[in-house]
Amino acid sequence: MTDAVFRETTAEPRTQAVPLSHLSLELGHLYMEDFEAGPEHLRRHFAQVRPWADAARAAAADRTGGKRPRISTCFLIDDYFTRFSSPAELVPLLLAEADRAGLAVDYLARESGCAVAGKVPVAEAVAGRLVEEPPPGSYGLRPPAAQTGWLANGERSPVARAPQAMREAAVWQPPKETASRRHSVFLDVELWSDAPDGQRTWSCPFLAAVWQLARLGLLRTEGEAVLEPQPHTADGFPEDWDELPPLLRLNPRADPFAAYRTCSVVPNRFLPVEHAVRVILDQTEVDPEALGQAARRSAGEKVAVPDSVADRVSYVFYAGP
Amino acid sequence: MGPAKTAPRVVLACGEVRTSLLPALQALDSRAAAQLLGLRADERVLLSERPNLYGRSPDTLTGVDCPLPSANGARVRVVGTVAARAALTEGRLLQASAYFMVPATGPDHRRPWGHYLVRPGVVEPLGKLPHEAVAEGVLNGGRHGDLDVGLIADGLHTRLLRHPLLDHRPPLRSRPTRLRWVALPAEPGAGPSIERFTLAEDELRTVRLRVPEGTPGEGLAGLCDDLALHDWLLTTVVRILDGIRLGAGAGAAGAPPARQRPRQRPGAGEELPAVVRALRPAVDHLLHLWMPRARVTQELAPLWDALEERPGFTRQWQTLVQRIRDQLTLHAIPSPHRETDMGP
Amino acid sequence: MLVFAASDKGGTGRSVTSANLAYQRALTGDHVAYVDFDFGSPTAAAVFDVPGAMRGIAERGLHSYLEGEVPEPARIDIWRQTEHPLLHARPNQSGRLALLPGDAGGGEFVTGEETLDRCVDLLLRLNGEFDLTIVDLSAGRSYAVDMVLAATAHPRMRYVPFRWLVFHRWTRQHVIAAAGLVHKEHGIIRGGVDRGHDEEALRGAIRFVRAAVPDPDSPLWAQGSPAQAAWMQACDDALRRLAAEHRIGDSVVLGAVPLEPVLQWREQLITEEDVLSTQIANKETLEALEEIARRLTDDSCWGRP
Repeated sequence: MTDAVFRETTAEPRTQAVPLSHLSLELGHLYMEDFEAGPEHLRRHFAQVRPWADAARAAAADRTGGKRPRISTCFLIDDYFTRFSSPAELVPLLLAEADRAGLAVDYLARESGCAVAGKVPVAEAVAGRLVEEPPPGSYGLRPPAAQTGWLANGERSPVARAPQAMREAAVWQPPKETASRRHSVFLDVELWSDAPDGQRTWSCPFLAAVWQLARLGLLRTEGEAVLEPQPHTADGFPEDWDELPPLLRLNPRADPFAAYRTCSVVPNRFLPVEHAVRVILDQTEVDPEALGQAARRSAGEKVAVPDSVADRVSYVFYAGP
Repeated sequence: MGPAKTAPRVVLACGEVRTSLLPALQALDSRAAAQLLGLRADERVLLSERPNLYGRSPDTLTGVDCPLPSANGARVRVVGTVAARAALTEGRLLQASAYFMVPATGPDHRRPWGHYLVRPGVVEPLGKLPHEAVAEGVLNGGRHGDLDVGLIADGLHTRLLRHPLLDHRPPLRSRPTRLRWVALPAEPGAGPSIERFTLAEDELRTVRLRVPEGTPGEGLAGLCDDLALHDWLLTTVVRILDGIRLGAGAGAAGAPPARQRPRQRPGAGEELPAVVRALRPAVDHLLHLWMPRARVTQELAPLWDALEERPGFTRQWQTLVQRIRDQLTLHAIPSPHRETDMGP
Repeated sequence: MLVFAASDKGGTGRSVTSANLAYQRALTGDHVAYVDFDFGSPTAAAVFDVPGAMRGIAERGLHSYLEGEVPEPARIDIWRQTEHPLLHARPNQSGRLALLPGDAGGGEFVTGEETLDRCVDLLLRLNGEFDLTIVDLSAGRSYAVDMVLAATAHPRMRYVPFRWLVFHRWTRQHVIAAAGLVHKEHGIIRGGVDRGHDEEALRGAIRFVRAAVPDPDSPLWAQGSPAQAAWMQACDDALRRLAAEHRIGDSVVLGAVPLEPVLQWREQLITEEDVLSTQIANKETLEALEEIARRLTDDSCWGRP
């Protein structure tokens, strides 16, 4: 640090760069109930997604000023909360239905990869980067209301706790959204739950927030990129989800997986989850160097990227069952 | 970094450092230091072995939204994040350091939190910043409810002290110190300088710097960590020497009674003399730690020269070290000779 | 070394005696902290003559600290802030003497996990800075007693040596009450074992201090009639037997403080000046305090060779 002649690698931070597209377009998010509803359900889904996907592409092209935007598509399958079917059965079906709607899935991801990717505890690392939004009056003392495992977008109602002898208990106070305009939309998000045996289960919104960070190319562990796409080399797909890489590149000629911005086309039942994702992203301090790399690259390309990470994320919620 | 470049120029940087002896019988080796300082699962601890053993944690952020202290009573509200990090030198001296930078102006209302999170270690004023008054206010200590960077350093310090690696068997009694610092812009073209270094209360030191525009806050924090570390060493060794009764035989642990009366039972004289017992830990754990400028950036390193000139940090240290060595040499001589030489 | 000062009842002279012990140790060059965990009635500041903190301090006291409202409790440098004319001139070569006062108006409160962690933080920090830390605990089996029992059983405190002093007056009722505080069903030892202490080790770390003991041989009673003297001697013997029956006999007594008007009426530090110049305090009292202060760290008084 002090001179350029002598260097110690362990004493210098370094951060791997990842290739970036303009847009990461998510074509869907598959849970067991979707699968159980049969192939027609998937068919209807992709048919609904198609026009919005086209609109998202057009909007991305608009932002690049006429140049061909780099856009990659992705699809997420839940293998974390419930295990169902197998890659060998499900993936070909999925791809066929997408293809029928004229959509191509470039990257396929497993939700459990957002919890632990290979040996990297991704979710835990992101949890360690949460910086709670301070309500007015926060002057440096640790907020007394901090609840482990929960994250709110404001101040919770004070809980009645046992007061010192002879002091009166406080009356009820409403919770307050910190960024509220006159009235609050207060949201308190459960990030994880711990089983009695200590086994931690990450919540769906938390993993979805990790998923967004992955798509924005902002995840690093000890400076290395995490959730790097693996090429699909085998002929078919394995029988076990664990044998499938957490992130698989199905289209060898696809644009890079990570992008300056993301757009997800999902049915409107995802709205509460994605609100929670925004609350989480808005309070996550991502690796500053990863952020700097994206900023420098986009500036070089003359593409505007919002400062705030949460603002890089967009959605289309279509009316659906 | 992208977002920070578009921000208005920084006109004030402030911080506070807690320095203490690591409460463990043995100094930590690099591996243990990395464990202690691993505040984040996904970021590595910076470890360095030259010119001394040193580890530094990744930065952690704390969100704040409150007034800044100011000497003229102006209440400037700021919103943003304070950065804090911990460092361990030679596995023995623990420092928790928090700092923030403030630009000259900011938006007139609070922005969404994501805006502040991409500017780590920056707090933005709502409106204009009277930086000279605020700098003075920070050094004097604010009112209750004003931004207290010391609290954040303290919170981190406490968190580290709860680490299971520590056995809480410190080899000597010592007090933590606090060093609070501010850095204001230097005159255009002027280099960095120390305007004032004050020993305030028992444990509080304040430092006032002038630095060229664009000096990174991290570098300033590094300089002030270095100053705090060496000030702690001087303070601690002076106190050790203060507490011993020179020329005494076997007594309580270097502790001369204000009023003479028998305290030690016969037989205790077979133990080490009190002076040796009091000085030994300093030799074992402290004397090798003196190394000014070890982690100071090139542009800030010259600031040490002023302190070496007056009061002469290293000069005082060498005198203290010499005194300790002389005492130990003296006590290596069989005691009858020593007692006669010393006289009453 | 941590020393916890406990008593079953009020009026045992626990606070004033333990404050005097702190003072005596500081005179010998030790750095001493006096921690006022007498949550019901923080009064230590009065003993040390620190006017600003007479009934606890307005903010940043130990309550505020334990409840997490401030990161560090206030400390009062006794030598500097006392109004006691003799103490103010810090004796040469004496150690530091710091008072950590309670908050004014702070009562007892329920302690939780976080309070306990903060208590451990504080005791460890003081142990790293001071040679001796005396913690004055609310009378009876109080939250304060429970909290420090839990704190000293905490894994982080495994290497921190601690000792207990239980203060009681030299009367039938007080002897029985003090024995109950330590040995009974809900006593210190049972409570300590429930929190993970080793029973033998904890028992071995508890000593008793008899306060306000009338000494039949003292010149104070020399004018009494022979019948009076005989009666006093008989009472004293009976109390000794009673104490022994209740397992708080002479072998676990660290010392006795004579009946002393200055301690009873004014609750103050007894200085050499009080004995030698103004002669308002008895020489025996000062000697007793000095001796107990010395024995605090004399292992031979604690069953250790």
